[in-house]
Amino acid sequence: MDWNTIDQQVSTMIQNNQPPDVLNLNAFASYAKDGLLYPAADVLSPKTKDDFLESFARGGEYKGTLYGFPILSSARAFFYNTELLDRAGLPGPPRTWDGFVTAARKVTALGGGVIGYALPLGPEEAQAEWSIWMWNNGGDWKRGEAWAINSDKNVQALGFLADLANKHRVTQVNPGKTNRTDGAFQLFKDGKVGMVIGFSPLAKQLDAEGKVKYGVGPMPTKAGAPVTLGVEDYLMAFKKKGNQEAVKKFLDLYYQPQNITRWITAEGFLPVTRSGLKQMSGDPKLKPYLDLLPNARLAPTTDPAWDRVKLDVQQSIGLAVQPGGNPKQVLDRLQQNATAAAR
Amino acid sequence: MFPAVVLVSASLSRYSITGLYQGAVGVDNYSRLLEQEALGTVAANTLVWVGLVVGVTLVLSLALAQLLNVDFPGRRLVRWALIVPWAASLIMTAKLFVWIYDYYFGLLNRALVALRVVAAPVDWLGDDATVMGAMIAVGVFVSLPFTTYVLLAGLQGIPGEVYEAARVDGAAAWRTYRSVTLPLLRPALLVAAVLNLIYVFNSFPIVWTLNDRNPGFGHDTLITYMYKIAFKSALRDVGLAAALGVVNVLLTLAAVLVYLRAVRWREAEA
Repeated sequence: MDWNTIDQQVSTMIQNNQPPDVLNLNAFASYAKDGLLYPAADVLSPKTKDDFLESFARGGEYKGTLYGFPILSSARAFFYNTELLDRAGLPGPPRTWDGFVTAARKVTALGGGVIGYALPLGPEEAQAEWSIWMWNNGGDWKRGEAWAINSDKNVQALGFLADLANKHRVTQVNPGKTNRTDGAFQLFKDGKVGMVIGFSPLAKQLDAEGKVKYGVGPMPTKAGAPVTLGVEDYLMAFKKKGNQEAVKKFLDLYYQPQNITRWITAEGFLPVTRSGLKQMSGDPKLKPYLDLLPNARLAPTTDPAWDRVKLDVQQSIGLAVQPGGNPKQVLDRLQQNATAAAR
Repeated sequence: MFPAVVLVSASLSRYSITGLYQGAVGVDNYSRLLEQEALGTVAANTLVWVGLVVGVTLVLSLALAQLLNVDFPGRRLVRWALIVPWAASLIMTAKLFVWIYDYYFGLLNRALVALRVVAAPVDWLGDDATVMGAMIAVGVFVSLPFTTYVLLAGLQGIPGEVYEAARVDGAAAWRTYRSVTLPLLRPALLVAAVLNLIYVFNSFPIVWTLNDRNPGFGHDTLITYMYKIAFKSALRDVGLAAALGVVNVLLTLAAVLVYLRAVRWREAEA
């Protein structure tokens, strides 16, 4: 199935009462909430279950039970164009937010259409970009069990991003209306951009094209230690009459270390199992990402409301960084909708 | 008929975010649809989109058909060339235009800046003032081939004698066009207008592709809004989207009926 239409196809299958046996998706909690899934105890052998890395296993729990089995992960990282940073007279990538603003201004000042920082807050993946900036200001999606999208720290962080666009003018044009893949990444690959948040597939493309010299490192932060976003994909098994044994056999086979690791490396992703981590830690290409993995945080995917909040963020957060946008108002609205969705 | 039945029954049901059926809710989805904040903007966008794409297409196609009806060297080549945008898939055409319109890499800005039409590049697909115009231009571009061919067929069905008669009566070119060509072209125009009305209203790929960078619903038509309600917004509500689907079908029918009635009414008067 095509990743762009998978939500639609799965929804249609469930409407027609013909769910898939096994599904690989980036969300699971709503399916668990609707009682459609087998819990881990029914379809996973204890050996497989115990091999999952702790944080990823927790990321697949709904109300304390594992329903979303981690299948692969990726971590975002801070990419910088070493040539542009050199030309701007910077000793290295910035580590703090103040240093980041200075660096972005100096790179932009090189002129000739050079952009300090490519900020993609268009609908494609705005929640990822936003999570990372929010966390590095010490903010978060939730406080305890309750949503805290419009906390002071978050309003401040979104105001910072709006300032990058409208006050410091160090981003590309209309960052609230720029997508990641055909926008920010494209500009970085063209050598027009000083800094961008990327992930390992971007590195793969940059290496293949060989046009841009770049470095990968931790995020500039205001929160003490740099935080990045980890993204986890899930396998889930749908309850259907008579499929439990077959599903169990399939999952055990799938999670055998040599099988799952082969698939993850082929796609340029990161492991979710202890055995996989041990196997892959020798790969120098993956080292920067594996180093970040311990500090990676996950979006609140265990909360079924997140499946709506994510879409809401994608459709609205970009408006806050447009000229005349109001970060507080946008976050208040998101908070209000998230609280309603949680009920 | 079966899809229509499914659509109507879905519009009277509630589904969870996963698509799980949760029971019948009567006309609840329809009243919730009316409460959607974006509905007014989206309806106005749809009116502008359909009105301008169909209107501009018809005017340009009349001129193009007239041109292609005249014998000139290379006419066969031009006639073939006109089919290309029609034969290409809409998604591909739309993606191509995304790059033509691009702020940093686009050909359009490069050309306009070089010709000094604009002083600085324009973010055609990101600037709220230009998105709709940019989409309409593409909508017209892909509608021209079909419309031109319908009108060309109509022109070729007009017998030569009536033009001879007009010439004998001493009518000038413009007068002949208005009093002879246009009235005799009416059936073809009618077909072109009605079919375009339906196609353009239901058109999804152009608006979806050219508008995919813009958050919110500020530049959506009823068709792309329906898709966003079902799968791409916080609503994620198949029942609500189905209700809008039913409304969309009824609106298309109503528009066609109103148009046909208006045309026939003028005909009776003439």
